[in-house]
Amino acid sequence: MDWGLMLENTPLLLLGLRWTIVVSSAGMALALALAVGLVAMGRTSNRLVRGIARVHTEIILGTPNLVLLFIVFFILPEVGLVIEPFTAGLITLGLYYSPYLAEVIRGAMNAVPRGQIEAGEAIGLSGPRILTRIVGPQAIGMALPPATGLFIGLIKDSAILSVISVAEMTFQAKQVIARTYAPFEVYVLVAVGYWVLTFLLELGLRRLEGRVTRYRSL
Amino acid sequence: MLDFARVTDAWPQLLEGAVTTVQLTAAAAVLSLVVGLLSAMLQLSRVPGGYWISRVYVSAMRGTPILVQLFVVFFGLPLIGIRDQNFLAATLAIGLNSGAFVTEIIRASVAAVPHGEVEAAESIGMGKRHVWQRVVLPRALVTSLPALTNEFTILLKATPLASVVAVTELTYAGQLVISRTFEPVEILLTIAATYIVIALTLSQLSRWLERRYAVLWAGS
Repeated sequence: MDWGLMLENTPLLLLGLRWTIVVSSAGMALALALAVGLVAMGRTSNRLVRGIARVHTEIILGTPNLVLLFIVFFILPEVGLVIEPFTAGLITLGLYYSPYLAEVIRGAMNAVPRGQIEAGEAIGLSGPRILTRIVGPQAIGMALPPATGLFIGLIKDSAILSVISVAEMTFQAKQVIARTYAPFEVYVLVAVGYWVLTFLLELGLRRLEGRVTRYRSL
Repeated sequence: MLDFARVTDAWPQLLEGAVTTVQLTAAAAVLSLVVGLLSAMLQLSRVPGGYWISRVYVSAMRGTPILVQLFVVFFGLPLIGIRDQNFLAATLAIGLNSGAFVTEIIRASVAAVPHGEVEAAESIGMGKRHVWQRVVLPRALVTSLPALTNEFTILLKATPLASVVAVTELTYAGQLVISRTFEPVEILLTIAATYIVIALTLSQLSRWLERRYAVLWAGS
């Protein structure tokens, strides 16, 4: 094992790490937007709309993310939508995590005691106001820990984007290996990189959780 | 438009891939269950350092991508003299990864076994080993069935990663067909549908197990 060689190639891996962070954050933002949509769809009285949300959820839960990635990357161009690997990657991550995140949001919203909503109605608050002033602030605190877990899962799953050559960390690792022929060392180094990243993220989001749940200790 | 005749032509190859997918899932699930059980017991036991070994294992597996773990195992095996064992590498990587999640599931289920039952078992003179074998473990395994099913469905969905180390499971078989026919749409949709069918079968199987053993518990 030649760790000096590894040190030499660290800048390229760090560049990859940056793209890992970018594509994961964008993917998470898309997942969040889709999840909010799914939750809203699940709450309407229209059966068709609810059905669409259900079918979307069932399909995603049963499809491996690598297969979903291939479907997005190879099938969208067939119907005339030519997209770059980066876009395909973030669409896949967003699509794949949307039902999981929707489940988290739904659960958190349902965990707000019904009596509080009724109290809000009793003092004449409108629906949107009840959402932003009563349900929302409490639901965020409850949704954060499981959502953190999903975000970490999404970061790790972004490694599969290397298969369609998005220049994230695992892809850069392959580039380094093509030059150094030291796959074992490089992948161990990359694993440590992911580990540190997810650890820091967990730490940061736990602090955020402490902030948004300050009201509990009042 | 969609032409599923292409799928019919490629069906034997895809079916072979699906069989490999099921084999890989089963092998990895068994490994995951064994490792998860051992790791959970290590964490709950008084073996010196056992707690930390298990915690670091769980943290490392949960903090790094399974694809990277697969590469580490795949390129690490030749360093200890095991060559050309792609299926073994995939089973090891996927099984060890899932084992970390199974550790957490088993740990939670063991914690959920009512303490009174353990005390009851001790008071009728059962030794420590007996209490584990006859009371805690059976009980915990039944409680963890739904969570384990969930985990094994996730495991099933991790098996396509084995295609990157050239294990001819369903996804790789599909890629081989696509590289011959240049018709990705029908093949990919068929593959996705096949995974959904396997996943649904898995959850039905678990529901059946659950019903069977829930009855056993109620009757005892």
